[in-house]
Amino acid sequence: MDLIGDWDVVIKTPIGSLQILYTFTDDSGALTGTATGKGETVPLHDISVAAQRVTWRQSVTKPMRLNLDFDVEVHGDRLTGHSKAGRLPRSAVTGVRRQGRIS
Amino acid sequence: MHDADPTPALAISRRDVTIWPLAVVGRFPDDGLVYAQIVLFDGFDPLDVIAPFEVLAAGSDTVEGALTVELVSAQGPRPVVSGTRDLVLHATAMLDPSKPGYVLVPGASGPIEGDPDEVDTIPVLLARFGETAAAPLMREAMANPDVTVATVCGGSLALAMAGLLEGRNAVTHVLGLDVLEATGVNVVRARVVDDGDLVTGGGVSSGLDVALHLLERSYGPRVAIAVEELFEYERRGTVWT
Repeated sequence: MDLIGDWDVVIKTPIGSLQILYTFTDDSGALTGTATGKGETVPLHDISVAAQRVTWRQSVTKPMRLNLDFDVEVHGDRLTGHSKAGRLPRSAVTGVRRQGRIS
Repeated sequence: MHDADPTPALAISRRDVTIWPLAVVGRFPDDGLVYAQIVLFDGFDPLDVIAPFEVLAAGSDTVEGALTVELVSAQGPRPVVSGTRDLVLHATAMLDPSKPGYVLVPGASGPIEGDPDEVDTIPVLLARFGETAAAPLMREAMANPDVTVATVCGGSLALAMAGLLEGRNAVTHVLGLDVLEATGVNVVRARVVDDGDLVTGGGVSSGLDVALHLLERSYGPRVAIAVEELFEYERRGTVWT
């Protein structure tokens, strides 16, 4: 699975849908990533890939302070899954690979 | 004084040693007046505002006006529409985080269910608070050692969503406890949680208890009990400190 690149992701949260740009990078063999939303870019922690499944954690402060755990499946240029903040209900996550690169 | 003495006389002596710093200071004009600023924002819950407003106003009367109680907003004087049937209350001043005393943040009222992209649900209203001028002003208030910030119902959630309660001990309305925890707050299940310069209350009716607790903290139990008698209301539960 090729995760490297930019992804336009929509997260359906209790305070409305958020549009986030995810960037996954191969940093000398280690997978790193960032999430850029309205007003901030935060790093992704504990990125783990198992077959098509990818999980990570991130802390955001905008539009609200939340600790989030992500769990998505990647198929080609699409990803679907959920994010979860503590004991809150899951928020649906969908994303598409941003085009403009040759892979 | 004689803390080990469980006789009724102790109760009196304990009352006598109660420190009344704000009341005493407040008797000197222009030197240490204490303010209770209640922050109105669009969609606020009216009872979250009125319960502490009435309690603090009655307490102010009891201490001969040493406490000035006012409704404020981050935008200055304006009519502010609540989340319950569009009831309007008027903010008479701008929230001033430099004023010593209390800054009290109410919760919001509105729909709980619904698509947040379509409907202004309570979480949407509370999150919006953090995107207004209220957020930086509340950050200043929390940094001011002369200010105790108090919240009722979702007020703590509004501050937590704005990232102002990281690592603090706090409570909110029972429906919001999971969200509060997800913002990095240590959630405490008590009706009133006293975390020093932050006093938070649970759901709507706890605003009475929060305000009575503030009166007791500042002016002693006699003032709080006088207001309880006047209102024919008694606090319940144990305050977490």
